[in-house]
Amino acid sequence: MNKPYWGLWTLLLVALLTFVVLSFWQDGIIVGGLEIKTASFARDLGAEMTSRPVKDTDTLDASGRLPNGKHPKGWRAPMDSTAKNILFIGDSMLEGLAPRLAKYCDKNGHKLVEVIWYSSSTLCWGESARLTELIKTYHPDYIFVCLGANELYVPDIKRARRPHLKKMLAEIGDIPYVWIGPPNWDEDTGINDLLQQEVDEGCFYLSANDKFDRSRDGAHPTRASAHLWMDRVVKWLGESGAHPIRLDKPAEGISRASRIVIYQPPK
Amino acid sequence: MILDTIDITQLLSLLAFNRDEPMLFTSGLFWVLFLLFLPIYALLKSRRKKMMLFVIAFSLYFFYKSSGLFFLLLVATSIFDWWVAQFIESSKNRTERRIALTVSLIFSLGILLFFKYSNFVIWNWNALVHGNFQPLDLIMPVGVSFYTFRTISYVVDVYKGKIQPVDDYLDHLFFLSYFPCLVAGPIVRSRDFIPQLQENKPATREMIYGGLWLVMLGILKKAVFADYIAQYNNIAFGNPTGYTGFELLMAVLGFTMQIYCDFSGYSDMAIGLGSIMGFNLGINFNYPYRSLNVTEFWHRWHITLSTWLRDYVYIPLGGNRKGTLRQHFNLMVTMLLGGLWHGAAWTFVVWGAGHGIALCVHKLCKPWLDTIASTRVTRFFSWLLTFSFVAFLWIFFRANSFHAAGQIITNIFTDFEWAYLPVFLERRFTWSLMLAIIFGLHFVPRHIWDKLRERFIAAPWIVKLLLFIILIQLVLQFASATVQPFLYSQF
Repeated sequence: MNKPYWGLWTLLLVALLTFVVLSFWQDGIIVGGLEIKTASFARDLGAEMTSRPVKDTDTLDASGRLPNGKHPKGWRAPMDSTAKNILFIGDSMLEGLAPRLAKYCDKNGHKLVEVIWYSSSTLCWGESARLTELIKTYHPDYIFVCLGANELYVPDIKRARRPHLKKMLAEIGDIPYVWIGPPNWDEDTGINDLLQQEVDEGCFYLSANDKFDRSRDGAHPTRASAHLWMDRVVKWLGESGAHPIRLDKPAEGISRASRIVIYQPPK
Repeated sequence: MILDTIDITQLLSLLAFNRDEPMLFTSGLFWVLFLLFLPIYALLKSRRKKMMLFVIAFSLYFFYKSSGLFFLLLVATSIFDWWVAQFIESSKNRTERRIALTVSLIFSLGILLFFKYSNFVIWNWNALVHGNFQPLDLIMPVGVSFYTFRTISYVVDVYKGKIQPVDDYLDHLFFLSYFPCLVAGPIVRSRDFIPQLQENKPATREMIYGGLWLVMLGILKKAVFADYIAQYNNIAFGNPTGYTGFELLMAVLGFTMQIYCDFSGYSDMAIGLGSIMGFNLGINFNYPYRSLNVTEFWHRWHITLSTWLRDYVYIPLGGNRKGTLRQHFNLMVTMLLGGLWHGAAWTFVVWGAGHGIALCVHKLCKPWLDTIASTRVTRFFSWLLTFSFVAFLWIFFRANSFHAAGQIITNIFTDFEWAYLPVFLERRFTWSLMLAIIFGLHFVPRHIWDKLRERFIAAPWIVKLLLFIILIQLVLQFASATVQPFLYSQF
């Protein structure tokens, strides 16, 4: 090998080794307050990127979960008819969804806390401890999440957002939940795939295929359309959701959550 | 310890064909493989036959990784067109030669048309007759548009007697499958490439590190600039009703820079890799947004495509040899086909038609324009007009539909307020800064770029390494950075 080729090869090799070694700090490295992002080599080569595939020989634990921590396909908890403390978190889509869910809560004896973080995404929720703090503050025994609309076009989203989504799900822990997917107005770059992969069986409502009447911004459903959206989610939860609770359909219209918390868009 | 964490199954799945993850020069996997490729290539470089077999094998794997077994189509095309070229050369019968050329064109274009335009035809047919044909579930082989044009140019040049056919089939397969040019060009001609292959000169230090310099520029343009600014452009173009005229104008300017950085960046990487391997692949973009008229723009934008269209469509149609009216007709046909080549949608046809009309108008006005004195003011207005027109047509190139394009244009002209500027700059500061940098870099004089390149080549190894590491870190930093989607969402 001639000298310039040798020089180029060693240059590329040293650079690659540097990034491979750094990639084992999967959450990045903080230097002087600045986060140095790391490459995905370690994640790509290790098996922890996605959940372990289910095997036929896997058995369920006492809470009906497989060894990978997930419920098997088709698993459903029995209907829970007790009154719930419901926490509903998400982005601006809650402005349309939550008032309708509040109406359901009124009729069925549940208490609803609504937390809107404008323009938020799995990134900012995952990077902050806000969800843990909200759970500590309001002690919910049921959680609704609606996130993803601000992430329709994020490149390489499965790599970029999977850790943040996993962190959110870990924060939710054993609390029964429903994740309402974004109401796509355009094809996404993988947020719905990612949610389907990571969110527990029977806990994800795919909204992407629903039809919506949109408000002037072309993205948010109109109020009437958002109420119908919430109705569809509740119907799905009763028929196919993993953790059905009592949500008998109320009359048309909306109500107000017992508490509404608003956070301004992340910087 | 590290080796213990490696999952072999996952490693093998990374190396297998995956239609969602084509191997691009910006992917980590490519650079890991290139690291394995380079020393073997360097060792075999002086042994031409072995070097060729090795590069062909690597190129076909590169194609397989992105397109699966469709790499066999490339092999079939290379065998067929190599044989056709031999036949054309050996045949003295004009009719036979013409039939051979026609069959070759039907074969090459047939593959391209099938994969790229079948569903376009089905959608149009359904729209016309309210039909119910289901679109075909087709995987478009990566780079088929580029290698088809390369093989056509080879056969046509042999037919016209401009070049001799290559005797050795491996030479032709090497040319057609050469991985730096496979995915997105440049559309190198056989007559420029094969002599270099046959001569097989060793790559000089200047070529190797000059190539690395180009690759780094390409990575900066594609993986840092284009991919980052694309995020906001995608959001705004995906939902134009949700954005004001000012925001949409920024998205149009953003896309204007994104497509340049994306395309020229990828070309730079291809040309740089070619240079590292000892091949001169020419240039493909020459500061197109400096152009003072549309004709000049097409002399600077995607040069290998525009010269291909000139040599194999415009001139065979008659070029400028059959009168003004026919010349304009030929120009329009060429640009319409050029538009359709970029994508199977009517919006691309409109984009091509717009450029065709502009070229005709420029040709008509040229005698009058030549009488205007060239001053700074006239040059500025010429540039402004050309840039605005090119940016305007990119709306049709990028928009998902005519409705969306119309919405963007309408909002820009009817819902435009400068009041959005400070908010926009505050909330999308990095995006705005990046746009300004790209724009500014476009006007850095060529001699400064040349000087920087020379300095990079002459720089100590450790400096090159540090620059390379900084660049890749920039890519990582911006890969997961996101652009604020909505300025503020009010229900």
